Amino acid sequence: MTMSPSGAAGLDIVVGAGGVGKTTIAAALALDWAHRGHDTLVMTFDPSLRLKDTLGVGDAARDREVAVGTGTTGRLAASLLDARATFDRLVVRYAPDRDAAERILANRYYANLSGSLAGVLEYMAVERLYEVASEGRYGRVVLDTPPTRQALDFLEAPQRIVGFLDSGALRIALKPWFDEHGRLVTARRLGPFGRGLEALLDRLVGLGVLRDMAEFFLAFGPLYDGFRERAHRVEALLRSAGTRFLLVTRPDEERLPETLFFARRLQEAGYHVGPVIINMCHPQAPGRPGLGRTTTAADLLAWLGARDERGLRAFRQRLGSHPSVDLPLLSGEPNDLATLDELRRSLAPGLVSG
Amino acid sequence: MSLLDLLADRRLVVVTGKGGVGKSLTSAALGRLIAGRGRRVLLMEVDPRESLHELAGVAPSGGDVLEVAAGLRLQNLQPVHVLEAVVREHLKLDVLVRRVTGSPVFTHFVDAAPGLKELAVLGHAYRLSRGLTRFPGGPPDVVVLDAPATGHGVSLLGAPSAAAHVITDGPFAHMASELAAFISAPSETAIVVVTLAEEMPVQEALELRDALGRSLARVPDLLVINALFPPFEREAAAGLGPVLADLWRERRAINERELARLERTWVGPRASLPLVPVPRGPSLVAAIVPALSEAVGHDGRSS
Repeated sequence: MTMSPSGAAGLDIVVGAGGVGKTTIAAALALDWAHRGHDTLVMTFDPSLRLKDTLGVGDAARDREVAVGTGTTGRLAASLLDARATFDRLVVRYAPDRDAAERILANRYYANLSGSLAGVLEYMAVERLYEVASEGRYGRVVLDTPPTRQALDFLEAPQRIVGFLDSGALRIALKPWFDEHGRLVTARRLGPFGRGLEALLDRLVGLGVLRDMAEFFLAFGPLYDGFRERAHRVEALLRSAGTRFLLVTRPDEERLPETLFFARRLQEAGYHVGPVIINMCHPQAPGRPGLGRTTTAADLLAWLGARDERGLRAFRQRLGSHPSVDLPLLSGEPNDLATLDELRRSLAPGLVSG
Repeated sequence: MSLLDLLADRRLVVVTGKGGVGKSLTSAALGRLIAGRGRRVLLMEVDPRESLHELAGVAPSGGDVLEVAAGLRLQNLQPVHVLEAVVREHLKLDVLVRRVTGSPVFTHFVDAAPGLKELAVLGHAYRLSRGLTRFPGGPPDVVVLDAPATGHGVSLLGAPSAAAHVITDGPFAHMASELAAFISAPSETAIVVVTLAEEMPVQEALELRDALGRSLARVPDLLVINALFPPFEREAAAGLGPVLADLWRERRAINERELARLERTWVGPRASLPLVPVPRGPSLVAAIVPALSEAVGHDGRSS
């Protein structure tokens, strides 16, 4: 097993908008690390589980690592991540005892909504990354991130969860609101007026909902410190020198502003930004890149080639000295190891030094 | 009655699909076609980064309602603004409203509460369609919603029924189930799925269809297959050199394979749109409108 000098795994986090080829690039890059002799894990959180098609691993790879038969010097494993399973594990780990954990896991609120809590998917991705990175079983870990137009969501997830925990919403919720009979405590203290208040709340939201929510947050209380501290450590991992962000985009000029914006935000926030990957560039073609009524397929190809060439020029100019790698549009779909291998060969020189 | 007539009769048309397949383009083109049927259409975008305005040929709105053509308006909707409006409606007093919406508890709650933004967006469309909310220039007849990418698309459409499942009594429960009924009623809400004729987007379109069946017990009304390469012509390709000829043949072969797969597996109307050499903007919308109109404009719901 190969480790980077510090003993910690090197991390590549592949980010970008939906439809730019993140999943494929993550797989090709992981394949390349394995070719270079590193034991490598590629993880995806993509809800449509596309990586399993690309790597030929089935649902078995959901939340556990499955070896990919690549015949490379380093082992390659893939895992498909599940927000709910990761969240459950966290609950079990940070709950003070088994009973507390059970109470949360059985709560109706948690059971229905833990998977859809905003940012949970993103947070659980980095959380699993942290878990895998600290176990040290892999020399390299490549993370494909959830599809999002707002790629920043992904990075803001840990802060957002900490922000929520710190905001006071939880402290308010953590007060014991209901007595053993399921009546509102405050309402009881207030006498007849309190009963009126209780009736009003019941009419507005329904006491049943409030009880479920209150129970969930009460049960979540003991986890608060562990969760919060963990989020800070996850954050530190994302900023560490061994972690690199690879931003994937397409050569269309209209994508330039958001790509530059994201790269700048990453850098300003202290993350390490690797080469920008400009994917799916159409080759240049002879012919008139024309419009008009008599457009032929040749004109279309010429137009696509010219458009991407113009886009690439704009990207290179605006990126200045920041490195970039451009990848051609493959004629085949990257759904087998042979095509992935072709892709990794064009990818590697610009991405891997040493 | 053509499929277009049916779509124009709905209150809400949700356009969804994987990232980068052309949802905004399809929304803009459908908006035009429905407005062309004499309906007042609102194109609604729920992305913090505005992009529909480019296709409509207007400047970014910053959330305002913009008139882009006769009977066609455009709005970039921020869910948090909808929620603030709800607070305003209930509290009335400005001081109180500011205290609530300015508090970190509100901000974080809106950010973190499961499904709240989705409910806000769909609730907004619902209230518009029922004339329950004031709208500059009068309420639209049809809202065309350019939904977020697939994974989020399912959670968007499934949010009301998920909420109705958790919240079982009280007015919230009532609202959630009313909204769930609105979304699952084929007479009220249309669902349009957009894909490319490539393996992964088609896979996601099929998964989306299955997920819709499970969570809403309904099927999409239309599948739009965007950006098809032109049919391969050996003679024309010969003049392009081996790289381009290979690219053209292979990309078209992928398109044909996926079209055949959809032919086998997708029950219901489909519309195929060509890849056209036109930059993103109103002229791109104009370039695909004829193909879309051709597919949905016939009587007897052609596919």
